[in-house]
Amino acid sequence: MLEISDLTVAYGGVIALDQVSLSVPEGSITAVLGANGAGKSTLVRTISGLVKPRRGSVMLGDEQLVGRSPEAIARLGVGHVPEGHGIISELTVDENLRLGGLWRRDRADQRVAIEEAYELFPPLRVRRSVHASNLSGGERQMLSIGRAMVARPTALLLDEPSLGLAGGLLAQIMQRLVVLVTERNLSVLLIEQNARSALSVADQAVVLSLGKIELRDSAERLAGDDALRHAYLGF
Amino acid sequence: MRLFVIYTVDGITNGMVYAAVALALVMIWRATRIINYAQGAMAMFTTYIALVVIRHGAPYWLGFLVALATGLVLGAVTERLLVRPVESRPPLNAVILSLGVLILLEAVAPMLFGGQTQSFPVPVSNIDFVVGTTSLPVSPFAVFTVGAVLIAMLLLFLVFQRTTLGLRMRAAAFNPEIARILGIRVGRMLTLGWGLAALLGALAGMLAAPAVYLYPSNMDEVLVFGFTGAIIGGLESPVGAVTGAVGVGLALSYVSGYIGADLAPLGGFVILILVLMLRPQGLFSFGRQRQV
Repeated sequence: MLEISDLTVAYGGVIALDQVSLSVPEGSITAVLGANGAGKSTLVRTISGLVKPRRGSVMLGDEQLVGRSPEAIARLGVGHVPEGHGIISELTVDENLRLGGLWRRDRADQRVAIEEAYELFPPLRVRRSVHASNLSGGERQMLSIGRAMVARPTALLLDEPSLGLAGGLLAQIMQRLVVLVTERNLSVLLIEQNARSALSVADQAVVLSLGKIELRDSAERLAGDDALRHAYLGF
Repeated sequence: MRLFVIYTVDGITNGMVYAAVALALVMIWRATRIINYAQGAMAMFTTYIALVVIRHGAPYWLGFLVALATGLVLGAVTERLLVRPVESRPPLNAVILSLGVLILLEAVAPMLFGGQTQSFPVPVSNIDFVVGTTSLPVSPFAVFTVGAVLIAMLLLFLVFQRTTLGLRMRAAAFNPEIARILGIRVGRMLTLGWGLAALLGALAGMLAAPAVYLYPSNMDEVLVFGFTGAIIGGLESPVGAVTGAVGVGLALSYVSGYIGADLAPLGGFVILILVLMLRPQGLFSFGRQRQV
């Protein structure tokens, strides 16, 4: 369970997140929707420790994440698939994947986890010794998710995975994600501008606007209710 | 023809020393985006420490190891105590800081070790090999110099390319933020990177000292030549830096041989200025322009 409460972040004097509270149960996907600048990326970056909040708490199980360094938070089980995938393009596909689990002590299980990532996204296997700069957008997104999974996280944060992906490919990757969530009992926070794609896989959804949660509901209801969709999501 | 061979061998030998400095500069540039102007002074300092060890009756090799070890520590401490606190500030702060370290070390060295020029021992003879009655244009120490730098480069290459530690260090250098969210302790990697770079610098100091002698600013010119090599190589590329530095070594050797020894340092500066004016991104770089 990833439990965010009263999270407030300000850049200088500008409030980016305003008392956001949200819990992401295990084995489920929570979509965070909203326009550009609504504070979606700030939310994931704060959970990951890249941004320091002014107030509030983020609990993963019994561990308080606020106040810890990004590397410590990663080691506690938070996987982060950053905006623009965050692949290190100077390294090979295999090196990127290995990076995901290097902090872990269990060398044998690291190899198993890498093998699992290749099974999850077979297109990566044939390109394993290729520099990541040569990958397509879809392959980069697969690599980023695969890399996060190599650490065997309990929570997974995805920041705009749909960015720059064609619809068919995106749907494929999202289907893989859904399988992962149930298999691994992951708490997933899915940040998306592409509400349609996010709602198709999410369990619950919140709409963020100017740093505040405007609306929270089950994804099914939100996707089904035309009035809500028009008002908050514009489709 | 014989002179040409002599100048070429000299150029390559000196160039390998510049290459060690150039490679150290590139390592630090890639890891922290800083030109470490104190690289030469740090090498001077560790060479003095080696001399103290040797003067106390220890064998050369112990002094050699002590110099490398001190280099590792000096580099790591510099990163941890001086560079880290200005990490989030404009890069110019760290650059000025490294100039401060340069001035500090060159001021402290004469207090600790004396300011006069001292000769420095060689582990193997620096008199040219003789086969029959002809002397070859190369000495055992020249072979040692080239070999030591090549071995150091090979070891660094293996560490960076073949070990998980090296993978972590590369990730930390290429993209520190991503490395951190993958659980890599980037701070430690940068400290280690500075340490390894200073170790390489310390090696250059030990190899340069027999020829340039040992005094508080003895590495200044070597730093400029190494820097020129690194700039020619584009600052990003280890191979480019080594190639550039050997090129500088050759150019200076020909200038000093065919025109006049006094002109060699000037020649170094001329090359540096020309490269910075005409091709600031380096001869081996095709990427974005550098901003300082």
